[in-house]
Amino acid sequence: MLREISLEVQSGEAVGVIGPNGSGKTTLFKAIAGMLRPKSGKILFDGLRLDGLHTPDVARRGVVYVPAERELFPQMTVLENLELGAYANPRDRDDQFRFVFSLFPRLAERKRQLAESMSGGEQQMLAIARGVMAKPKVLLLDEPSTGLAPLLVAEMYRQLSQLKAQGLTILLAEQQVPHALAFCERTYVLENGWIKLSGRSSDLLGDPAIKRSYLGVG
Amino acid sequence: MIPIIIDGVVQGLQFSLLAVGITLIYGLGGVLNLAHGQFAVIGGVTAALLIGGGMNVILACVLGVLASGLFGLIVDRSLLLPAYRYKGEERLLLGLILTLGLSFVVDGYLNYRVPDAALTVQLPYPSVTVAGITIRTASVATSVLAILAFLMLGAFLKGTLLGKAVRSIIQNEVGAELCGISATRTRTLIVCLSAILAGVGGVAQGVFSSLGSELGVELTIFALIVAVVGGVRSISGTLVAGILLGIVNAVASFYIGTYLTLIILLAAAMLTILVRPSGMLAYWT
Repeated sequence: MLREISLEVQSGEAVGVIGPNGSGKTTLFKAIAGMLRPKSGKILFDGLRLDGLHTPDVARRGVVYVPAERELFPQMTVLENLELGAYANPRDRDDQFRFVFSLFPRLAERKRQLAESMSGGEQQMLAIARGVMAKPKVLLLDEPSTGLAPLLVAEMYRQLSQLKAQGLTILLAEQQVPHALAFCERTYVLENGWIKLSGRSSDLLGDPAIKRSYLGVG
Repeated sequence: MIPIIIDGVVQGLQFSLLAVGITLIYGLGGVLNLAHGQFAVIGGVTAALLIGGGMNVILACVLGVLASGLFGLIVDRSLLLPAYRYKGEERLLLGLILTLGLSFVVDGYLNYRVPDAALTVQLPYPSVTVAGITIRTASVATSVLAILAFLMLGAFLKGTLLGKAVRSIIQNEVGAELCGISATRTRTLIVCLSAILAGVGGVAQGVFSSLGSELGVELTIFALIVAVVGGVRSISGTLVAGILLGIVNAVASFYIGTYLTLIILLAAAMLTILVRPSGMLAYWT
């Protein structure tokens, strides 16, 4: 459930959404991706409305959702999963392949392997890579650290930083608050479907309420 | 014995063509099409009527196959729309009822308008002899066509982007939609393609037997058994199961009669469900 929330993401920006389980992060992302219909309100992208569109049409407009469940094609190879990521714009496929493989060299090594036979970390990389194959204008990343060992999470955020450096706009939901605050310029704090706080990540880092509830210090 | 086995293989290939369509529509659309045999019969009857009207045989057969495809397209875009509005079990149930009703309507209409349609095909060489065994040319031709259809289907699903999109929806519909693949449009394509494959089977069937109104139900039942034994998600399994059950069907019909044969085939399907619910080749493919 989300109530009366208002969010804004500028082009080229990385924006975080943090909050406990059940605070509405995934609901927000699914609404943007066209998987849930808002009862009221608008979702605008480049001045055009996204709400009311079906999921494939939202993806075709360049707003690509990478869910925490990953939703890969288990009995297809890494290569086929990536190929399908570029389904909507096969023209840029070769460039995107090169870009994705330079970002995630491990996927290039395993491109003939079935998605289901890979480790959790590799599957997460594949899910992000499949999203990037679409050459998105906005990437919606939902809890990319789910089920990953701490070392892998750090590696993944280094790779995401490279994506950001390319100018990709990213909206990130994350429970691992320190990572989210370090990665995003601005962050919204969601609680029970409301936006409780928002602002520059560096300001939130110093906020006593955030420190107490999310960073476990102070 | 050997000519009977060959007959079984020929017939089994046609069952496989229907079964693979049932498999695809079920895997992609979540609907178990009980009118699939009628899809096939429509192709056969159309070809028979056109040949009866004096048209070139090959052209008439092609048009018959296309008629099946067109019928599938219309059914997907009209009759099945209410079913597609639901998900999972509700869609399956509504789909069962709708397609069962459709099969009655088609059978009733054909019984009323063309009760005894038959394809009369005069081939320049009625039979060929290979290694002392005489085979009807029509058997060779229909088998080659069926195998070609299977190879093309395989190449489409494994080698083309659209075919991969079809497989991706079967494996994970949510994931496919996130990649910008429209499940609705792909589903229409697959129902149409499956109907075309059924049409090939129906035209081939018409070469060997009359296209009476009971043929549709019979084909649906055989195809369902083949689909279950082959595994409702496995295409190579369907092909192998079709050939095996075709042989069993031909041999058993010859030695113990058609009634008991049907019981044997249904028992094979039940046994598969008990022992290997996901089909014979589930672990290979």
